[in-house]
Amino acid sequence: MIREHGYTHWDGHLISRPWPWWPITRLNLKLAFKKKHFRPIYVLSFLPAFFFIVAIYISERMEDFRFMVRGSRPQFLEVNPNFFKNYLASDFLLFMLILIMVSAGAGLIADDLRHNSLVLYFSRPLRKKDYLLGKISVLAFFVLSLTLVPAFIFIIIKLLFAGSFDLLRSYPWLPLAIIAYSLFLTAFFCLYTTFFSSLSRNSRYVSVIVFAIYIFSDFLYGFLYGWFHRPYLSLLSLKVNLQQVAAFAFHQKPVQPIPWFWSFLIIVSFCSVATIVIRQKIKAFEVIR
Amino acid sequence: MSPRLQTQHLSRWYGNILGLSDVSLEVGPGITGLLGPNGAGKTTLLKLITGQIKPSLGRVTIDGQPVRGRAEHFFRIGYCPETDAFFEGLTGWQFLNWMLRLLHFSDSEAAAAAEKMLHLVELYDDRHRPIRSYSRGMRQRLKLAQALAHNPEILILDEPLNGLDPLGKRKIIRLIREYGREGRLIIVSSHVLPEIEALTRQIILIHQGKIFAQGDIHEIRDLIERHPHVVSVRTPDSRRLAAELIQQPYVVKAYFGDDDQNLLVETRNRDLFFQFLLEAAAVKGLRVEEITSPDDNLQAVFDYLVGRP
Repeated sequence: MIREHGYTHWDGHLISRPWPWWPITRLNLKLAFKKKHFRPIYVLSFLPAFFFIVAIYISERMEDFRFMVRGSRPQFLEVNPNFFKNYLASDFLLFMLILIMVSAGAGLIADDLRHNSLVLYFSRPLRKKDYLLGKISVLAFFVLSLTLVPAFIFIIIKLLFAGSFDLLRSYPWLPLAIIAYSLFLTAFFCLYTTFFSSLSRNSRYVSVIVFAIYIFSDFLYGFLYGWFHRPYLSLLSLKVNLQQVAAFAFHQKPVQPIPWFWSFLIIVSFCSVATIVIRQKIKAFEVIR
Repeated sequence: MSPRLQTQHLSRWYGNILGLSDVSLEVGPGITGLLGPNGAGKTTLLKLITGQIKPSLGRVTIDGQPVRGRAEHFFRIGYCPETDAFFEGLTGWQFLNWMLRLLHFSDSEAAAAAEKMLHLVELYDDRHRPIRSYSRGMRQRLKLAQALAHNPEILILDEPLNGLDPLGKRKIIRLIREYGREGRLIIVSSHVLPEIEALTRQIILIHQGKIFAQGDIHEIRDLIERHPHVVSVRTPDSRRLAAELIQQPYVVKAYFGDDDQNLLVETRNRDLFFQFLLEAAAVKGLRVEEITSPDDNLQAVFDYLVGRP
């Protein structure tokens, strides 16, 4: 059979769709919620938010709860910037966030590396930044759902119970501080997790590293501080650094008597290095073995 | 009339290692076979063509538009990678659905396209089994399915027939040829010569990162003048024909093959040889039963080009 190769002139336009990263986020969110151990961790993480909402309720109905509270109103029932700082930088919430990162984030990139599936992503209409955005958005969803969302719910509940805008009148910068600190936490946790996830093809190993480094940094600080009593040693602790920045964001006294800026610099430096490494690791798929 | 896919001086190094060197190609619609031994640079070339890796030098265009940095091209391109790249825990159906979701198919569109494609590659009955339980051939078919599922105009298939049994190979070859007949631009790489031969006559020969030849297998063969063509003639008058032929200046050698009736002739000018044969048959009453050209296959062309004896 003789067949002529006809030439087809293509007059179409290349289609560009918004949010090309969204299918990646959607699938990984689904996969995260399918994990048996993830769901209880995530639900348990809302426990502090529940207690803080109860605290707001009690603070507005003090007369009804007088039998529980003797003397002056306890500090934790004062709904002010410190209240929000206590929620967003609490040891428990930060610990739960790390557990969520471990269970939902460790395999995000590691599993793709293990299955050689980057080639499939990049043979779809996705850029590397879309891929990363899709992965990071999964973690961002979890962090924001436990930080930004509850904090704004606190404000709304407070306003509803109080029946006035006194809180916002007294602290007009509060919503901005909540947004800024929530985004700061989100950036840190997302990059912290994806950084380690991009370093290995074994998600179990990544889980251990993500958890251990967070815990070990705090342990090391506690251990060395016990010996040397130098407040600057707190810069070794990821948790304390996050809390130092929170204290600044909400105009509160820092946890340690050292400038907040050092803690901020350490976290930002880590995030910058993590970004560079993640980009390099993703780019490494271009090497054909 | 310009071709749809062009590469201009395309080169890629991996540190000190040369992956591809100064490749300029023009590929039009239909099936083009990319042929070369393992490590020749086939995968590098295909990944450069699809814009997945950045060239060290040169550029690739599809319909005049640069490929690199234009992920939107993948709405039109189907790419079947050489290596397995599955999420082992997903089922075949879930995997295909997910691949289509990445191409912005809606849930219902993805489900319909996945179902159709699973039927086409005969994996429909196994669609709910996890991929980790698939055989090599099934994985290969699933890989091909994800490349075809969005009905692309351009198909880049890297060793798509690897691991398939003969029957499976035949089915996939038929499928690829059907797609080629529809006017799609298809590039199929392989290091197995009969596979390419079964798919197309249009070939690109690649070795050590360089393109040795491109075009119709016969045209390429004709270009290699320093290597004489071997033509096999089956005739009961083989000795008479041999005596006549050996006097011709363009005949290098004439010898007998499996039996007395099979005359093998090496010639430097195939056209003159066939003209002579025609005259011999018509004028001198020579009976010719069969004419074949054993070195017209890809293996012979490839061996000549890469310098194998």
